[in-house]
This record gives sequence, structure tokens and C-alpha cells, in this order.
Amino acid sequence: MKNVLKLAAAVLIAAVVAVPMFAARGSANFTQFVALGDSYGAGFESNSLNERHQVWSWPAVVARQAGLTVCPVTATATTPCFAVPLVSFPGFSNELLLNSVVPAPVIAPAPGQAAPLMLTFGRPFNNLAVPGATVGALLTVTGAEPPTQGEPTVVTMSRFILRGQGTQIAQAVALHPTFIALWIGGNDYLNVAFSGTPATLTSAADFKTRYEAVLDSLIAGAPNAGMVVGNLPAPAGLVPYLTLVPPVLVDPTTRQPILIGGQPVFFIAKDGNGGVGQVTPGTLIPLHVRDKLAQGFGLPPALKNIPPFSLLPHTGEPLEANDVLTPAEIATVIARVAEYNAIIQQAASARNIPVADVKGLFDRAAATGGIQLGPVNVNSAFISGGFYSLDGFHLTDLGYLLFGNEFIKTINAGYDTEIPLAGIWQLYSNNGAFFPDTANNLTFTEPNRGMSDAAVKNIVTFWAQPTVKRLRAVGH
Amino acid sequence: MRSLRLTVVTIMACLLSASAFASGFAIPEQGAKASGMAAAFVATADDPSAIFYNPAGLAQQREMAVYAGATFINFSNEFVGDPNSPVTADAEGKYDRHTFIPPNAYFILPIGNNLTVGIGTYAAWGLRTDWADPWAGRYISRDADLRTLSVNPTIAWQTSDGRFALGGGVEYRRARVFLNANRLSLNPFTGRVADVANTRLASDYGDDIGFNAGILWKPSDRFRVGASYRTDMDIELEGDADITQILTGTPLDAIVATQLPPDQPISTTLPFPAVAAVGVAFSPNEDWDIEFDINHTTWSRFEALDVAFETTPAASFSRPQNWDDTTAFRVGVNHNATDMWDVRFGAVYDNNPQPVEAVSPLLPDSDRIGVTVGTGLHKGPFVLDWSVMVLHFKDRSTEGRNPEGFNGVYQTDAVLWMANLGYRF
Repeated sequence: MKNVLKLAAAVLIAAVVAVPMFAARGSANFTQFVALGDSYGAGFESNSLNERHQVWSWPAVVARQAGLTVCPVTATATTPCFAVPLVSFPGFSNELLLNSVVPAPVIAPAPGQAAPLMLTFGRPFNNLAVPGATVGALLTVTGAEPPTQGEPTVVTMSRFILRGQGTQIAQAVALHPTFIALWIGGNDYLNVAFSGTPATLTSAADFKTRYEAVLDSLIAGAPNAGMVVGNLPAPAGLVPYLTLVPPVLVDPTTRQPILIGGQPVFFIAKDGNGGVGQVTPGTLIPLHVRDKLAQGFGLPPALKNIPPFSLLPHTGEPLEANDVLTPAEIATVIARVAEYNAIIQQAASARNIPVADVKGLFDRAAATGGIQLGPVNVNSAFISGGFYSLDGFHLTDLGYLLFGNEFIKTINAGYDTEIPLAGIWQLYSNNGAFFPDTANNLTFTEPNRGMSDAAVKNIVTFWAQPTVKRLRAVGH
Repeated sequence: MRSLRLTVVTIMACLLSASAFASGFAIPEQGAKASGMAAAFVATADDPSAIFYNPAGLAQQREMAVYAGATFINFSNEFVGDPNSPVTADAEGKYDRHTFIPPNAYFILPIGNNLTVGIGTYAAWGLRTDWADPWAGRYISRDADLRTLSVNPTIAWQTSDGRFALGGGVEYRRARVFLNANRLSLNPFTGRVADVANTRLASDYGDDIGFNAGILWKPSDRFRVGASYRTDMDIELEGDADITQILTGTPLDAIVATQLPPDQPISTTLPFPAVAAVGVAFSPNEDWDIEFDINHTTWSRFEALDVAFETTPAASFSRPQNWDDTTAFRVGVNHNATDMWDVRFGAVYDNNPQPVEAVSPLLPDSDRIGVTVGTGLHKGPFVLDWSVMVLHFKDRSTEGRNPEGFNGVYQTDAVLWMANLGYRF
């Protein structure tokens, strides 16, 4: 009896000691890792979704660091790998390439016609992120929607990612995931860059309902899976797409504001209430409005008789209210994102899901001095900064790698794992030149354009490197 | 004599560089007997390598002799990147070359009853860190190579009873340095970080003259006390920077071409420390000698590696080192097992001079502990000394404080084989 008591006490103590210090739900078992999200999750870059960058999407970065390999196009349903809906180069749509930077940047789409490479893949993809997806789209879009004129991007893209087999959530659950990573919400507010008005923002109430529904649906379908989500960035200026065109007249050769009477010349725009006036400092002009400015829209009537402005057909006519984002409108967006983040934090905490600080990453990139990473400085400057891709909206491979690292950090903290971060040396282009060619288990369907052979080889050989020893997550 | 001189010249000509095998870039293994006692030799100094360890020890040697040999250094090393650093996570590295053979040679000549003169040559300073491609730290250093060569004429005098001796010498030291690194840049045309240039800095030989001195006191047949001192030096080096563009095949190349500095003369000054050593030796009987040494090395002179570019001064750089003085502790035992055979043991604990911020691919130093065994074989006028040292470097972490963001753990182990052949005329 005494021995039994002793044994019972020992068992009790062992049970108490064995309770993990962290409270994250499920466990960090990456056997069946599934990611849901939007264009950032898909690895959309330079206005394109294609295989060159899909393998660097943040879910692919996390998967590799957790010990998985990204599926080659030849993989079958039973191949143990992280499946991604690969699209051939130049992608959907044709990837923007930087052709020159001197004297001025020339960015143009790559020629060619892309095709999805894994339409018949025999199971749902592990990376289910669909460009254009909002929180709501995760619950509704399946890829079976009939084509319509001017349909949303998320519907078009879902045809080869979700393939009519169910929503992102349904397909994630169908994979019996052991770990789920989710980053969604960007399209609930960044569409303001195209609409030009905060009226298109998802309301906080809708965001809350939908975000919680997403989490609860996933938990209901995979109650034992580990999970991680991320908060939403809102750096000043949001994205380069909104900051590249200043709200004043600029000399295209010097790129300095043209001063008339010692003052910069602010564009004119409708105020949405029937009035017209000069925009104020801090107003953001989306990049696509450049085309209207080139025709003279937005230039004050005072310039009508001054060449060369007098030669433009629309000088003196105001921009539409939705062509500009006023400081008040920007403030509305920033405040809404703060609401979204509070909702994400609260919803995740209530369900024991750790939250990756994606917002912090974007803030650091946008801060003075950027992020110094060994030999390079990564910052939010367009083209030279290395963080935002050539569409001024999505990230570069390097940006997504850092994005993935934020998730890895959060998984490690929440699940007490030691998954190594992705090192930026993975993107040192000349690494590949040192590896043998024979490790190539992936062939690209298009000849290499816009990227050095060494860089391509780097990706291929990196995939082929043994990754087993990277697997340090618990649950294995 | 003529053939002897030729031998010395030949050995000098083939002196090789070596990685650092005492703190910093010092190599105190300059004789196989001394090394068998873990270089605890300043109060013994009874073979021609006394020129290096304690010149006063020459005076007790009353026969013309030559003593020459080499240290065969073989080591394994590994860098393991900090898994929590986005610069180095999962990065690994090793040196390409693992074997170095710094040789030494000494000649001594007694004059009269109290004087001995001698000349020695050795490579007691040097390092090589030649990282094998692909090396994630190549933006800091791919290859660093410091070679030195010393010639050290020496004179020593002892009292007629042999209880007290003084010695001193002049050391002429030559040194050259070679640094190789790549420049990396974001390439907006590929979205990758591209190697855009290789910088190869190679100095010519520079030189300086210093002094060494020592005393050896034998208060009784059982006790000996020795001390030696070697002055510091500053060797001014001039050389050339070869900056070679690495083409990326993108329009970035044209931009890089306009920004790269041209090939040009460079200069630097390499500080060498002073070394002070004291030792006491005790002989419980005539077959056993036990010696304890303490070495103090003024590494704090190495404040920075400053390289000045002559044509484009903006390209000049300064790598802070801020090293600290170091103290090493050595114990050595020599046992005359038979008339023919000596057996030796030793151990050394050597502090490293580097603050954690200075630990880099250029020279990742760490505290090290070593044990040695060796033998001496006496046959007529010949002596053959042999020893081996197993040297373990403590794992050295940058603790996340490398100023260039290159963080991780450096691991090193080494085995040093030493052999010297001596002949007494």
C-alpha cells in the first residue's frame, strides 16, 4: 500500500512536470503541414504567380525549414512533400521584370504564355493560398465559380489552386493537417490602393465574424492540429504602390518638385462632395493614376497656358476623388487595420493560437535604416530596397523569406521548437555555382529569362539538399 | 659550415604559414623537446631552441650544435550558424586547408668557457583561415593568411659556476598578409544577393627589428628559475588591392563597374605583441624535471586592423579588434627513463585575447587546452625529439554580437606533431 502511494505520488509529479510551459494548441508536428492565405501566401511577386517565386512563398519557407521538401511537378498524391500549385514562367500574369535602372527604371512584363503545371495533382495542395483572397473568400470561394466578365482575381486564381474541390478551409481539413499556418486579411484593406476609398474596407464587425469562423472551421475539422496566424502590417504609406507618385508636380529628369513662385504645385482632385481643390501634403497617389497625370488630369488650371503642360489634352481637369487617398482616408485605413489586429489577437488568444508579428517586420523594413542583414540592407525602398517586388505591392523572395521567419519565430516560441530560421544566404545567387549540377530534380518548363542561371541552379540545388537534419520540431 | 648555411637557407625558403596555435596568431611550438613539455621550457632551455624560449639557456650548452625540425599541424574546424539569425541560420563552414608545417632551425657555437652564440630561424607568428566555398561569411573573409619569418642571432653568458646566465638577441622579423573577401549586393534584376566583386589584398613583405632577452638562475641543483622577454613590433606593410568585378549577367554589372574602386596601393601596420615568460623548474631527483611557466602576451596592442587605400581613401576600412592581453599556463615534465630515452608530458591552458565582438571568419579564436606527450632519443651525437599535442579549442559563440551580423559557433580541434633532429659536434 505504501508502495502504491509512492507510485501514485511519482506518477502525479511526473504528470505535473510533463505539462508543457506553453499553451499553444495541438503540437508542432509538420508531417502534414497546410497553409492558407492570399497572394503573400501564394508567393505572388512582381505581379505574377509562377514557380520561380512560389517556392519562396512564406509557407514554402516555413515548410523547408521545418524539414519538408517542396513537391516537384512530377510528384504524385502519395509523394511526401509540400505541394504547391506551380505555374510555369512567366506566370499569371506575366511577371514584371526590371530591364534597366539607368537613366530611369524600365519595368515590363516578361513575354510568353504561362500554364498551371499541377492541375491534375491527386490531392489538395499543401499551400492553398489564393491571390486576391479575403477572410471571407476562405469561407466561400472554391474555384468552381462560373466565369464572369471582370471577375475577382481570387475566383480566377482559385480555378487552378482550389480546382473546384472546395474552399481553402474544406481542402485544408481534407488533408488531415497536423499543423496549420494562416495569414489572411491583407485584401480586406489593401484593395484601397485600387478603389481609392476606404468604403471598400471590410467592416470590423464582418472581419471579426469571418476571422473567427475561419479559425473555428479549421479547429472543428482538425482539432488536434497545431496552428499559427499572423497580424497585419500598416506601415506609413502602406506599400510603395501608393508612395511612388508624389502629390506634387515633379520634374521627370531631376525627380525634384517643380517650384512655381517658390511653392510646389499640388495636384487638383474632386473632394467627393462636389468640390474641387488642391490635394494636401500626405495625400497618396496610387501608381496607376500615373497614366491620367500623363494626360494632364490633376494639373492646376494655371498651367493651361504654360508649355509643355499646355500640350497635354486634360490639363486643368481634376483627378477623381477615388484617384487619391487623402490623409484622412489613410488614417481611416490605419485605424481599421489596428481594429483587425486587435480582433486577430483576441480571436487567436482565445483559441491558444500564437500570432506572428508580421506588422513588426514591415515596420522595421519601413523604418529609417531598414533591416541590416549581413552584407545587405533590406528596406522598403522601391527596386533598391529588396523587400517589395516590382509591382510595389507584393514582396520579393527575400521579403517572403523574412516573412516566413516571423512565423518560424512564433512557432518556436509557442511550441518550444527549435526550427532554424531561413538564412538569407539561401538567396546568395552564386552559392549555386559551387554545387554540383547532378542534384537537379526539377526542370523548369521555360528557358531562363531575367534571372541568372546560377540563381536558378541555386533554387534547384537547394531543394535537393538533405533537409532531414533541419527537422527539430517536437512530434517527430 | 658551408653546407649548414645552405640548409638554413633552404629551410628559410620553404617556411610555410600556419594557423594560430596559441592565443591570437602566436605559434609557440618551436622545438620538439620544448613542445613535448607543452612549451614550459623557459627555466630549462637546454637545447638550441633556447634561442626562441630563453636565450640565457644557450650559455649552459657547451658544444657546437644544430637542431632543426618542424611542426606538422592538422586540425578540424566547423562553423555552425546561429539558428536564430536570419544571416547565418543553417549556414555551415569549414577550412579548405587543414595542414600546416612551420619549420624551425637553430645553430649554436660556444666560445671560450662562458659564452655561447647562436642563430635561429622560425615562424612563430601566423594564421590561415581559408574557408571552403560556398561560404556564407565570404562578405567578411574567404581567406586570410599571415606569414612571418624570423632570424634571431643570439649571445649568452654564464658565470663560471654555471649558476647564473644572461642572454639576449636581435630578432629580424618579416611578415606579409593576404586577405580575400567578396563584395555582395542586392541585385534588383534577379531579386538575389549577388557576389559583385572579389577583393584581394596582398601585401609585400615588411619587416621590423626587435630584441629578446632572458635570465636563467640555478640556486641549487634541484631548482631553476628562468625568465624571458621578447619585445613587441609594428610591421608596416605595403601592398596592392586587386578588385575584380564578378559579372552577374544583368544590367547591375554596369552600375557596379562605375562604383568599384580601382586596383591600387594599400598599406597597413600589423602590431605584434611582446611576450614575457617566467618559469620555475624542480628536479626531485636527477631523472625528473618538472616545470611550471606563465606566459603573458600583450595582445592589447591589436586594437584594429586598419587598411588604407591610397587612390580612393573612401575605400579604406578599419576592423576593430580591441584584443586583451593574455596569460597562458603551462606545465611540463621530462623524465630520463634510460640513458637513451627521455619521456615527456605537458599541459597548457591558454586564454584567448579576442572580445566576442572581434570573433569573425577572419580569425575565430577561443580559449584552448592542450596535452602533450613526447620522447627524446639520444644516440651518440644525435638527438631525435618527437612529441604530439592534442589541442582542444572551447566552442566559441559570437553570442549574437558580431558587428557584421555573422553569428554562430566556431569549433576547432587540432593535433600537432613535432619532430626535431639535433647533432652535437
